[in-house]
Amino acid sequence: MIYNNEVCKRRKAKFNSIKNHPYFGFVILTLLMLAVQFARVLGVDVPITILRAFGLTMIYIIIALGFSILLGYAGLASLGTAGFVGVGTYIIGYMTNSLGTSIFLILLITIVGAIIIGAIVGFISLRIEGMYLAIITLGLSQILNEVFKNATVFTNGTNGLNLDGIVIFNKLIQINHNAIFVVLAVFMLFIMILTLNIMKSPTGRALLAMRNSESAAQAMGISIFKYRMLAFIVATVYALLGGVFYMSYISFSIPTTWSLAFSLNILAAVIVGGSQSIYGIVLGTFMIFGLNLAVLNQIQFFVDNPAISIVFNGALIIVVIIYYPGGLIRLVNTTVYKLKTKIKLWKKRRKEYIYGSDSE
Amino acid sequence: MPNTEGFWELVILFVLVLVVVFFLINTLILRKLKNKSKIQSILINVFLALGLLFLFYRIHQIFPEEFNPTGIMLQSIVNSVVNSCVLALATTGIVLIFKTSNTTNFSQGMIATVGAYVAATFILSFATELVELGNFTIVFLAMIVGAVTAFILGILIDVLIIRRAKVITSVGKQMITMGLVLVFAGSIPLVFGTIPLPIPKLSYAPNISFTLFGNLLSITSHGFYSLIISITLLVVLFSALRFTKWGLGVRATASSEVVAGMMGVNTRIITAMSWGIAGLLGGVAAVILTPSITIAGVSMMVPTQVNGFMAAILGSFSSFAGPLVASILIPILNGLLSFVVGLWKNAVVYLIILIIVLVKPMGLFGKKIAKKV
Repeated sequence: MIYNNEVCKRRKAKFNSIKNHPYFGFVILTLLMLAVQFARVLGVDVPITILRAFGLTMIYIIIALGFSILLGYAGLASLGTAGFVGVGTYIIGYMTNSLGTSIFLILLITIVGAIIIGAIVGFISLRIEGMYLAIITLGLSQILNEVFKNATVFTNGTNGLNLDGIVIFNKLIQINHNAIFVVLAVFMLFIMILTLNIMKSPTGRALLAMRNSESAAQAMGISIFKYRMLAFIVATVYALLGGVFYMSYISFSIPTTWSLAFSLNILAAVIVGGSQSIYGIVLGTFMIFGLNLAVLNQIQFFVDNPAISIVFNGALIIVVIIYYPGGLIRLVNTTVYKLKTKIKLWKKRRKEYIYGSDSE
Repeated sequence: MPNTEGFWELVILFVLVLVVVFFLINTLILRKLKNKSKIQSILINVFLALGLLFLFYRIHQIFPEEFNPTGIMLQSIVNSVVNSCVLALATTGIVLIFKTSNTTNFSQGMIATVGAYVAATFILSFATELVELGNFTIVFLAMIVGAVTAFILGILIDVLIIRRAKVITSVGKQMITMGLVLVFAGSIPLVFGTIPLPIPKLSYAPNISFTLFGNLLSITSHGFYSLIISITLLVVLFSALRFTKWGLGVRATASSEVVAGMMGVNTRIITAMSWGIAGLLGGVAAVILTPSITIAGVSMMVPTQVNGFMAAILGSFSSFAGPLVASILIPILNGLLSFVVGLWKNAVVYLIILIIVLVKPMGLFGKKIAKKV
């Protein structure tokens, strides 16, 4: 067979253009998730806890991506995430159980509700800034939590709300976790692509300018009002959709879940991973939620002493923030870069060893 | 017993009237004055006070005459004394740390919880040997032990962790304190066991009765002693802030850490001491709080923590007196509103705080700091 150099080159160029495409990593991540699910369906012995951990982590990635636009791009710290996610869970819970609304209508209502909530919080953020905003949104989250506890008609109070199933075209269907996992993975891919497009668009650059200096951004003609509103609306839409998915995957929601600790964990995931990079957020979410759910729960030592895994998580957060302020993704990037340069050097030396040095 | 029909209509109407009057005054009179913003700020405070007074008046009104409404209101204020003390101590700690380290300390509650656990363990192990000293002395000794532990813990946290994080943004520091919460939440069961520990009340003497404005009121002896201890601590702390070199250092560090350092203030010791004292205040608060929730658990201080943040926002982080006033006000409002809205009292209180902060973003007593661009 004749080795056709031209075709080979063309193939290589094509592969490179796919490999360097910004969505490549997202698709690979989604395919990995789907592979775990299909392996389970096909009969490979994947522990159910690991599968659930991956599903939950994907939901948290969706929520954290919205938060990263808020914190990493707009520079607004919010502690209200838990309340917003809770609203999402109760919207689907109440509407399916009591009204029998179709899931598509529920998604639409959720998005509209999220836009309204986001606009309210965005309006608040125009007057209050920095640490104050974080605490005020915490107050808002507390108000929502009180509503979850006391509005027993909608939320079943402190006993928690069970989801009966999902209504598709006027038909109540029992929840199939495998199907929801697949939908979730595809939806996560969609959200990742959407977020990347927001980040790399003029909107993202305007948000970054606002984060770095508000006065300078205003001087360049960026409307603070518009972009703050936008950042909060995006974050709340992601959070409420995350809530809808959480409810349809776990099918149980209780007010104590939507407490300060949840908001702090999302914040920790974004900070630990690196607040401006999508891969960073994926990494951070795995560190904060996935590691605990998927890895530590499999090791007998940590199952026997659940307290130690909490300590480990806390210590990890502290160490990462003190020694790698840019997030874990920066550590990964620098390590990969160093390895690449080392491999290049090694290859060059090897060539010199075989063929002799150029300089002679 | 109270008849709450038509309660909120009048309150909201009154608030709306206040808003309209404020806008009229603002547009017609204040426009021509020179120091407009100062008068505006005072005016808003006066109007807010009027609104709150009207709220109290309405609560007073809804009780039927035969129940002696003034007495019930005063009694409910007296009942909230333990909560007010706890919140005042915790909030002062949070504000102290915010001033010197420029971060909101989420681990304040957890440091306090460790103090409470140490105190409870102390009581469990030495109660039989010290039984002749009496209940008050034992609990007081335990309180001192717990507070000193929390003090040392606070200093250790600053020296070992926060000091190394000088360059990190305030959100990053916030996350460090959050990581500390996780570390403590995990290590408390490891050290003290998973069973929550009880702490006895400071005193089991019968309630102390006294007369105020012709109403017979009674305060639990535990509340009375807590009040005395808290007032003593806060008076000592505030006079230290006002009159000692340490207080001057804290105020200098609060206004600018770099400049304070240049002027010869040892900001390291100031910050470490602030963390320690915040821990001490929290420890005392936790020991006072534990009997009213019967046992010391890992998450015992979380509501106090959240309320402390709200009080600090309401009173403004830029002063020490403001958060103190707010932290006394919040439990009183909570107690009074429970007559009107029952279970929804927390939500209503948070909503009121939210609205006040929206009107005055720097808090009730805060000054707007002009920033150089």
